Formats: sequence, structure tokens, C-alpha cells
Amino acid sequence: MSLDLPLVFAALMGLAILMYVVLDGYDLGVGMLMPAASADEQELMVASIGPFWDANETWLVLGVGILLVAFPAAHGLVLGALYLPVAAMLVGLMLRGVAFEFRVKAEGWHRGLWNWLFWFGSFLASFAQGLMLGRYVTGFHPGFGYTLFAMLVGASLCGGYVLLGATWLILKTEGELQKKALAWARWGLLWVALGVALVSLATPLVSHTVQAKWFDFPRTLALMLLPIATVAAGWRVWAATGRLKRGEREFDWMPLAATVAIFTLAFAGLAYSLFPYVVIDRMTIREAAAHPSALKFMLVGVAIVFPFLVAYTVFAYRVFRGKARAGLYE
Amino acid sequence: MDTAEALILARAQFGLNIGFHILFPSLTIALGWILLYFRIRYARSGDPAWLATYKLWTKVFALSFAMGVVSGITMSFQFGTNWPGYMQRVGNIAGPLLAYEVLTAFFLEATFLGVMLFGMNRVPGWVHVFSSAMVAVGTTISAFWILALNSWMHTPAGHVMDGSQIIAGEWLQVIFNPSFPYRFTHMLLASGLTASFVVAGLSAWRLLRAGEDASARNTLRTGLVLAAVLAPLQILAGDLHGLNTLEHQPAKIAAIEAIWKTGKSVPLVLFAVPDDEKRRNDFAIEIPKGASLVLRHDGEAELQGIDAFVPDAAPVAPVFFAFRVMVGMGVLMLLAAWSGVWATRRGMLPQRWMLWTFSGFTFAGWIATLAGWLVTEIGRQPWLVTGILRTRDAVGGVSGAQLGASLTGYIITYTVMLIAYLVVLTHLAGKGADA
Repeated sequence: MSLDLPLVFAALMGLAILMYVVLDGYDLGVGMLMPAASADEQELMVASIGPFWDANETWLVLGVGILLVAFPAAHGLVLGALYLPVAAMLVGLMLRGVAFEFRVKAEGWHRGLWNWLFWFGSFLASFAQGLMLGRYVTGFHPGFGYTLFAMLVGASLCGGYVLLGATWLILKTEGELQKKALAWARWGLLWVALGVALVSLATPLVSHTVQAKWFDFPRTLALMLLPIATVAAGWRVWAATGRLKRGEREFDWMPLAATVAIFTLAFAGLAYSLFPYVVIDRMTIREAAAHPSALKFMLVGVAIVFPFLVAYTVFAYRVFRGKARAGLYE
Repeated sequence: MDTAEALILARAQFGLNIGFHILFPSLTIALGWILLYFRIRYARSGDPAWLATYKLWTKVFALSFAMGVVSGITMSFQFGTNWPGYMQRVGNIAGPLLAYEVLTAFFLEATFLGVMLFGMNRVPGWVHVFSSAMVAVGTTISAFWILALNSWMHTPAGHVMDGSQIIAGEWLQVIFNPSFPYRFTHMLLASGLTASFVVAGLSAWRLLRAGEDASARNTLRTGLVLAAVLAPLQILAGDLHGLNTLEHQPAKIAAIEAIWKTGKSVPLVLFAVPDDEKRRNDFAIEIPKGASLVLRHDGEAELQGIDAFVPDAAPVAPVFFAFRVMVGMGVLMLLAAWSGVWATRRGMLPQRWMLWTFSGFTFAGWIATLAGWLVTEIGRQPWLVTGILRTRDAVGGVSGAQLGASLTGYIITYTVMLIAYLVVLTHLAGKGADA
């Protein structure tokens, strides 16, 4: 039996990107929510993401790494077209990454400055990623309308990350801060609804291939499960936050789990739209794939390392389970 | 698009990024192991002074690691955006090596760093020691893969052609290419020296600022002893690396020694101002037959000069000067470390002027590392991958305007980051381990 290597690596890349969006999404979201919290709450918020953010960002390196090494031709095309938003995202990620370390050691107005940079970096990186998504799903078409669309997607992704961050805080905090997070989550959810709707409408309008894939009876009926499930997950977030707000019985992990479901479903829909293209209507995964010898060598590494990676990631999340506590370095 | 302009900007931007980035791994690779040593000392003695030491240096490590991570993420994008020709031509070799670095090192160190920094009260002691060890192992594995790739670019081996594509024939030969063992050893020792001088330098600063401090005296001694052991080893490793370079990249040696013409009984140029236009040395101070003697162990031996490699010869002046900066710093670091070990014998506290000297040497390792990196990377020019790909053929895609705009953004960001880093480090060291 011979493996379909480009397909395997497309799946791995998809997994890495989804992992990145969900994991770094919650800590970027927490970063964007910083100005809305009091100084004490900010310490708790930072403590809740402290042990994780480094590893979360590594998923981005893996995702881009797979794009670079498994689909080199697409890497040049995609990142060339997105050069400036990518640079903006990198500056944002750098600022927030070091601000995270510096703010703990700073005092007085210095700490205020680093807090601001932490917020700004988180926002810049999130917005730039949304911009990249918006440009990507419309095939990098130039023009004012497309730019505006990309900016709307940028704002929506910020909302999406705020939703992830807020639901993460619902899980990791209690009391007053948790109450605030419940309200933040509902705001984020509205933006997510807008973003998902925008991308779902835009992709079939821009590409006939995508249109044909979704509007093809009777397959359409089965495919409709995807948007229905997404709406159901959105409703679950709304209902769960409502119950928690009123102090009724509900798991504190439910809003986060339902949010992750929204992201996963939206991602699955996008993946279905695009496949087998890596650049919409222009380049398929097979055209972009690296030499089989390189892919095989990497697959060996993935197969050996992946179980360990999953094991120690689970270990780290178990070590830091439960509600966050202040006093990061104690 | 103006290719010449884009080439200069692409190189400036990549050089800035990688030059900024290399500062932090070169510190954290060895600091990870030094931290593990502190952690084990605490585990075995239960002495709160070792705990305080460990916690202080953990903060320095976390800060440096974060700087390395964020500048490293930038690098992972720039491989593709600044050098599309690189991935097109040798992506089937470079890609998997980078992928292995991410898979085997990045996740390992990032995940266990979280446990190491924030988990001391949440996991049993041995799990925490284990986490510290995994962080150190992770940084070293990371160095292994990136130096395998870098060495392959200098001395390619193990590859074959499949149609127009370069692919790996034998991965073990690709990884353990001729210059890899030397370069990897040289880099690990460089990291050891960088970290030990940072440890000694910041400890000396602490003693100057706050007077007596048992923890700072311990770490001053630790840093100095480590540096005193590693410095002579590094000189030996550097010499062997040089002989390996003579065998596989003679053009680089010609540039390092400013040898313009191939000939016998070549003098050793101690100092000169190499003129790349006229291909000669001005104001040269030379030892007759010296280069032949040092490099071939025979005063009469023939050495190839720049003329043997034109037009594929590196610019001489930057390589020549950078090499002398590196060697000069190496000698100074050796002297500082040895006199420091003497001055701290039997628990003695060095004179204030010596403490000032050690403080002044805090970042000596960075200067030597950057100089050495310039020697090896500029010495490889005009090749990006020796004999396979020229640097100018790898550039492309992005316009000069976009490169210029993003370069400005990076310069501002890096300047802010570096200043903040130095301020915080000085501040941390000044407060000492008890704070």
C-alpha cells in the first residue's frame, strides 16, 4: 500500500493550523481583554495563560513549517501575497511575547506600558491573522471591496479570539472575573457569527468551484449538517453562558468546549471548500508538494514524535488544571 | 523590480533578524544546563540559597528564551519570503531538517518550560528536575538540527539529483556532513562561554551594587570556573574547525588570512587593511611563512589565495576583521576567566576593579559569537549553499518597498526589545536573588 503523502501532509498542516488557532487564540484573546479588567484581575488572567503560551505559538511554527517544507511552491505564493500582514503579525507576536515577560518584572508606568504593548501586540497579531484569512479565502484578489472584506474578517477573528479567551477565563477563574468573562464571551460570539457568515458567503461567490461543491443536490442536504451543527454550537455557548450567569447548573468548561466546536466546524467547512486546492482555484496540494523522499523522511519523524508531543502536552495541561492563581513565579 | 536593491534589502533584513535571534539561543542553550546544575544543587542540599539562585536565573532564562522564540518565529517565515529560491532549490533537504527541529525540540522545550517556570509547587521535586532537564535537552536538540542544516549549506554532502531537483540520497550523510561535528562543537562551546560570562558578569554586578551576597559569590565562581575550562577547549575546537574549513572551503580560509595570491611559504598576516578593489593588503604586519606553518604545519607548503577562486571569492575585509575580533575576544575571555578563577580561590572576593572587569565582560560571548558567525557566513559568499546555489539566485518575490517597510518595523521592534531586555537584566541582577 502506498500512502498519499500530499494528502497526509495537508491533513497534518490543517491539524497544526486548527490547533494553533484554538490554542494561541485563547491566549491572544486573553491579551485583548486585558484593558477591560482591573489590575488584580489582569494578574490572574496572565497567570492563566503563563504556562502555555510558548507551546501554543509553537503550533504556528509547525503549521508554517509544514507549508514551507511539504508545499514549498504554495508557501512562496501565499506568504509572498501576504507579506505585509505577515510582517505585522510577527511584530505583534514579538511585542506580546516579550511584554508578557517584561510586565512581570516592571514597576510603575513601565508596567503600564508593557500592559499596553501586551494588549496591542495581541490585537495586532489577531487582526493581521484575520486579514490573512480574508485575503486567502478570496484568492488574493486586489481591489477595495476585497480589502474591506479582509478587514471585516480581521475584526471578526479578533472577536473569535476574544470568545476563546473569555471562555478560557470562564473555565480558569471564578467570582467577579468569571462574571465579566461571561459578558465578554457573548460579545465575542456575535462577532464570530458575523465572521462565519461572511466567509461562508464570500467563498462560493468568489469561486465557482466552491459553489459547485456546496450547491449540488442531494449532497447539499448532507452538507447542511455542518452549518446546522455550527449554529447549534453557537447556541450552546449562548445558553451555557446564560445559565452560568444566573448561577444555574452548568459545567464551567462548556462554553469553551462549544466554542472549540464552532472553530472546528468552521475550519472543516473551509477545508472542504478548498480541497484539493492549497491556493483557491490556482494550486492543488499535489502541484505544490515537495519531493516524496523529503515527505517520507518527515513522516517518519512525525510518527515517532507525535505520541510524545501529545503525551507531554496533556501532562502540562494536567499539571496546571483547575482555577488560575496569582503569583506567577512562586 | 530592481533585483540588486532587493538582494541588499533581503540580506540586510535576514542578517538583522538572524543576528538578533542568535544572541538568545547562544545564551539559553548552555544556560539551560547551568540552571539544571543549580536545580540539582538545590534538590540535593535543600539549601534556600541555591533555590534563590535557581529562581533568579530562571527569570533570566525565561526572558532570553522568550526573545529567542519570538525572533525565531520571524525566521521561520523569512526562510520562505526572503529566499524563495532557497526552498525551490534545496527545500527537500532544508525542509525536513527544519521540521525535525520543530518536532523534536520546540514543543519539548516550550512545554516543559511552562512546568519549569510555574510548576515548582504543583509537581513532585523529581518531576520538576526532570522538566528542567527536558528544557536543557530541548535547546541542545534544537542546536543540533539547525547546525546540521547550516553545516550542510557550508559543506553539502549526501545529496543526489532527481531530475532537476536536489534530494537527499543518504540522510545520515546529509546530517553528519563534513563540517557538522566541528561546527556543532564550536557552537556548543560558544554557548557555554556566552552563558558563563553572563552568569559571572551579572553576579559581579550584583556584588558591586549590593555588596556581600552569598548567592552571587557562588554564581560568580560557577561562571568563572566554567569559562576557564571551556575557553581553552574552545580555542582547540576552533583550530580544528579551521583545519576542516581549509580542507572543504579553502576560499574562506584565503579570506580569513587575507591571502590574495596562491603560492608557497605564505606569511601569516597579523594585521592589515585588506583592499578588496586592488586585491592587496595595506599596512600589513606579517610573520614570514607563518600561514603555511599554521595551516599546513610546513613553512614551505603551498596555500591557495583569493586568485584561485575568483569570481566565486568572498569579500576579504569583513571576514578578515571579524575573524580577528573573534580570536581577540577569545583570548581576552581566556585571560579574564583564568585570572578570575585565581582571584576567587578559596572563597576570596575579588577586588572591585576586577568585579568591574567581569561586569564589562558580561556580553563578551555575544561579540565573539556574532563575529564568528560573520566570518563563517560572509566567508561562504557568494554561495548560499556551497557549489549549489548562489545567494543572488535565491532572492526574489517581494518588492524592495515591502522589504524596506518591514525592515523599518523590525529595526524599531528589535531596538525596543533589546533595550528593554538589557534594562530588565541589569535590574534583576541588581536586585539579586533575594528579591
